[in-house]
Amino acid sequence: MSNQESTVNDISMAQVAESASFANAPVAMSLRNVSVAFNGRTAVRDVNFDVPQNAVTALIGPSGSGKTTLLRALNRLHDLTKGAVVTGDVKLGDIDVYGGTIPTTVLRSRIGMVFQRPNPFPTMSLYDNVVSGLRFNGVKKKSILDDACEQALTAAAIWDEVKDRLKAHGSTLSGGQQQRLCIARALAVEPEVLLMDEPTSALDPISTASIEELIGQIKNHVTIVIVTHNMQQAARVSDQTAFLLMADDRAGVQIEVGPTSKIFNDPDDSRTLDYIRGRFG
Amino acid sequence: MSENLLTVSSPTPVTYVEGRQRPSTSSRGPYEYVLLAAASLFALIAAYFVGTVIWRAVPAFREQGFGFFSNAMWNASFDPAVPSQFGSLSMIIGTLITSGIAILIAVIVGTGTALAISFLLPTRLRTVAATLIELLAAVPSVVYGIWGLVVLTPWFQYTVGPWLAGIPGFAWLFGTTAGGQCYLLAGLVLGAMILPSYVAIGREVINSVSKELIEASLSLGATQWQTLWKTVIPTARIGLFGAGTLALGRAIGETVAMSMVLGSALSTNYQLLKPGATLAGWIATQWGEAQGSSQVPALFALGVILMVVSLSMSLISNRLVARQRRAATL
Repeated sequence: MSNQESTVNDISMAQVAESASFANAPVAMSLRNVSVAFNGRTAVRDVNFDVPQNAVTALIGPSGSGKTTLLRALNRLHDLTKGAVVTGDVKLGDIDVYGGTIPTTVLRSRIGMVFQRPNPFPTMSLYDNVVSGLRFNGVKKKSILDDACEQALTAAAIWDEVKDRLKAHGSTLSGGQQQRLCIARALAVEPEVLLMDEPTSALDPISTASIEELIGQIKNHVTIVIVTHNMQQAARVSDQTAFLLMADDRAGVQIEVGPTSKIFNDPDDSRTLDYIRGRFG
Repeated sequence: MSENLLTVSSPTPVTYVEGRQRPSTSSRGPYEYVLLAAASLFALIAAYFVGTVIWRAVPAFREQGFGFFSNAMWNASFDPAVPSQFGSLSMIIGTLITSGIAILIAVIVGTGTALAISFLLPTRLRTVAATLIELLAAVPSVVYGIWGLVVLTPWFQYTVGPWLAGIPGFAWLFGTTAGGQCYLLAGLVLGAMILPSYVAIGREVINSVSKELIEASLSLGATQWQTLWKTVIPTARIGLFGAGTLALGRAIGETVAMSMVLGSALSTNYQLLKPGATLAGWIATQWGEAQGSSQVPALFALGVILMVVSLSMSLISNRLVARQRRAATL
């Protein structure tokens, strides 16, 4: 226990990023009474918070608390699942995500996603992977694609490593490089928001560190919502943290949302403190 | 057996003779000899089968030489002064035409069906559809044959055939006279026959495409259609090619239905409304009158061609499907 206490102290004192004040920052996405149900069984209930622009919002909580489910509600990825119903208001700026005014394809190009395991398209070259989103959106001109490819790979801090072998396949890269390729692929369509679903859970510590560093760099261009199991990671990379927990009826509920420094140092709810201190989950 | 178990679990380290991977053979139990005997018997049967087929075919290859492949004539001579003429060209082309039509149907209709089952049908109906298709794949080919002969031949002879024969500018492809038993009908029946097994394998291949790739594609703003064309099919293409090769192997080897709906005629006119013959079908139809004659080695030689072709088809398809399994999983 004392060991864990000291770990927590390490987080609180040294690792929590100096969060810029975002109380007045513009809101990239807002969630009001958002619930997700699968075949009538509620998986996430009544989530309410704002995602501040050009900041990193971390979703933390134990397994089953609905972090990933909530994340996938933001870019309508649940549309694929039969029996999935999302209720409440999800807004991207002023646009109602579920309002039907914006086509899902357009929405998803404005809210990008990076997944748990690196998933480059295995039949495509590195170049084709990066520009695939632009091609889906109808961009054909080679000069535009070339520029976008270089920009995205540069933003994902992998340009120097791959610029001489853009024709190679994704499988020739290491896991960490593949994940950065996937980040480049998501960034190439210039989304406003980037959803990251435990992006380092399949990576080694060194690759994890490089992805975390990358998150710190790209948040100047894109708003990030990241799901993570790793509390140190949430403390290191995020500005705002939302803590979810599984309620008695097995639905995930929001316990507390606030600046990361507050959640990790002085949370309002004792359950948040218990979780941060490693008492469960 | 008990000795083996004891040896493995004994605390004293097992010492191996250098260069050997396993303990000495003296510790083998009787069950190992039974298994070895069974396996050897199988190897013997297989070798005997392949060996005798080739051996029986040798005289035909020796007499006819390369003509066996380039000649379209099939004349068994009973006059010792006149040499027999056996050429498989017409059957090789017949096999190619019918299998080609069949594989075209299987790939186009089958890939669409497999995609529809995996992506359009509600989950509950998927299993039903998949089971029905697997049942269809198990229907013996003679049933397809009699269906083609009794149901489709008249329809072809009086409706489809005349219509196709009347299309201006396509006489080179269809010919100008309608026939019942013909290449086109045989190809269609063959296509219907191999379709279920193609769909069954194709569905597995498509299901092996990782869900994460589909989500990656959609999350980039791709439509469902783009996701199917640009992500699912390219990722699955090696396996689909493997499924096609396997189906082609079956089409090439198909005997009964082909001898029924193709008309068993040898000619050098390969227009699609003309009757013809395939390698496998020809062996089946000629066997009755061939016994004891110089035709026998020639029919065995057709068998050798079939054996080599279908063996390579199944080897290729196995390798492709295995490569697909590795490629589609992340």
